[in-house]
Amino acid sequence: MNPALDVQHISKAYGKKQAVNDVSFQIQEGEIYGLMGMNGAGKTTILRMLATLLKPDSGDALIVGHSIKTQPDLVRASICYLPDEASAYRSMTGRKYLAFIAGLYFDEEKEQKTCVELGEQICGLGDALDRKINTYSRGMIRKLVLARTVMPKPRLAILDEPTSGLDVLNSLDIRKTIRRCAKEYGTAFLLSSHHMQELATTADRCAIMKDGVFLAEGTPQELLERYNAQTLEEVFERAVNGV
Amino acid sequence: MMHLLKKELSELINKQMILGLLGTLLLIILFGGIMTNTVTESMTVSGDLHIVDCDDTEFTRSVIAALEEDGYTVHTADTAQDLPALLEENGWKDAVVIEEGFSKAILEERTAGKMQSISLLTSTTSMEMLAGGNDSLSPVRAKIKELLMAQVIGEDMKFLADPIKTTPYTVANGKISQTDTYTLINSLSVFDKLMPLVLFMLIVLTSQTIITAIGAEKADKTLETLLASPVPRGRIIGSKMLAALIVALIYALTYGAGFLVAILMTMSGKDGSLDVAEAFKSMATATKATQELGLQIPMWGWAMTLVQLALTLGIALMASIILGALVQDAKGSQMASLPILVLTMFPYILSMISDIRQMEGIAGIVMRIIPFTHTFTATSCLRFHDLPMFWGGLIYQAIFLAVMTFLALKLYQSDILFIGMPRIGKKKEKN
Repeated sequence: MNPALDVQHISKAYGKKQAVNDVSFQIQEGEIYGLMGMNGAGKTTILRMLATLLKPDSGDALIVGHSIKTQPDLVRASICYLPDEASAYRSMTGRKYLAFIAGLYFDEEKEQKTCVELGEQICGLGDALDRKINTYSRGMIRKLVLARTVMPKPRLAILDEPTSGLDVLNSLDIRKTIRRCAKEYGTAFLLSSHHMQELATTADRCAIMKDGVFLAEGTPQELLERYNAQTLEEVFERAVNGV
Repeated sequence: MMHLLKKELSELINKQMILGLLGTLLLIILFGGIMTNTVTESMTVSGDLHIVDCDDTEFTRSVIAALEEDGYTVHTADTAQDLPALLEENGWKDAVVIEEGFSKAILEERTAGKMQSISLLTSTTSMEMLAGGNDSLSPVRAKIKELLMAQVIGEDMKFLADPIKTTPYTVANGKISQTDTYTLINSLSVFDKLMPLVLFMLIVLTSQTIITAIGAEKADKTLETLLASPVPRGRIIGSKMLAALIVALIYALTYGAGFLVAILMTMSGKDGSLDVAEAFKSMATATKATQELGLQIPMWGWAMTLVQLALTLGIALMASIILGALVQDAKGSQMASLPILVLTMFPYILSMISDIRQMEGIAGIVMRIIPFTHTFTATSCLRFHDLPMFWGGLIYQAIFLAVMTFLALKLYQSDILFIGMPRIGKKKEKN
């Protein structure tokens, strides 16, 4: 069986700046994989390449066996992408927005309805779904867009900073939702984050990035042991500083 | 306070804004120069008079001599057999025909002497109207009155108040019709000025709508969501185009209807009130002259004009989709629509006041390169049988639209959409 994601020596440069340099990794079905790194490390570039929004200069990535370079249409049918700080169409109600997104993924009305019902359940916004999105708080919008990302049950969900700017309780809700969806629907998750603790409690495996390359990769426990650290913050500091 | 002010100014004044401003300034200067020259040329009275002296008496010869003494260059002919050919061969835009028996009528019989005012119609622009149709008429009339009064002063002052009866004629497309040029232009304006207005509204509104929408989608990252979904890019672009078109059509029809009412009001009465019956009567009168002069547009012409309209809109929409994709923020959206606005506004205004078809040199080339120009001049091309420019413009627009569509599709499949173009308000890529 194909892994959910198989990244093979992928590289990308912006002019003279090498944003991603010969990166390879795999994610299995139902696995949560976290990318850690500072601003400019190359996390978003990797996610955008896998979402078929940017073209790699070299290398390739297979999403459930489909190449992002030669089969982008098939790839897009297998993924859902949540950009950093993504919002939604503010003039729509939450429910209509979920219905709109469902319509992008499913042609049959019955499938769309099932998808929307799942989205409504995942976001947990209740009656607020009938209000326009421009009345939502930041946390509510984040829950809504996360729900729309996972409700089509994609083979791979790509989340860029999913809890960025959220308070503790909202962040916890988001993390729980990610773990639940990975377990219940077998969705593989690739998420980037600045928050080491978030990845320590959410991700099955993590990679630390700097200047477009992977410095270290493994389960949180493996990384803690490898760097003889108490927390992932310490792991990150030691990996980045080459200690 | 200063601290905050500096921050606000640094956000408002950036490289992108200054470049856009300078670009627009250059365009305004360029087109402003073209427009000023056009208006000046159109308004200049040459000092040349064209007189067909069929009477050829001592009195009419004395009128011509007196006009020459006054500094006019008088061009004369002695037969009114084929006036269209006379105007074309001599390059005259107008002529005054002094009919045989003119001198006898006013000097001996004390009745109005008969003259004909001939005007060459080459377009239906405002400049044609401002020029008054016949530059020769007023000086000739004034001189005749002057000489007549010198001869008969004190005899019949009522007669002296209006001793000339003028019959207006208009020449166009090598044909002549007994009709007043001003009335004819006014009648043709119903169609020839309404369509450019509707087109102008459509282009401006659709462009602004699309660019703003794409700018908002980029800011909210909803565009990334859409483009990463399993929906073909062509469908995403097409949907944006169509939605903007529908909204713009609603606006354009509303404004177009308002403009039509305004035109009908100008045609229906002197007091500015709306009298539809009177307006249509006026239009019907002009229709006869239109047919006599070959100025009517055939059905295929209207159909092809609609095709041009659609092509022009398509070009504007594709340009907007491209510009919208290149901007990086809300401020960029505002600036991005300026090129389309400027490139639409100048052909529109020029087509209202002048005949772009007759523009030559660099100005003519610049105007013809702008794809929107060809739809603004479409009805004029058809009325005055300038088919090479009409078909050339249509083919040019079709090619232009194909190129723009290709570029839009390429752009939406490229990295530029997200990492931006160099020097277009590019923000540092977040990783």
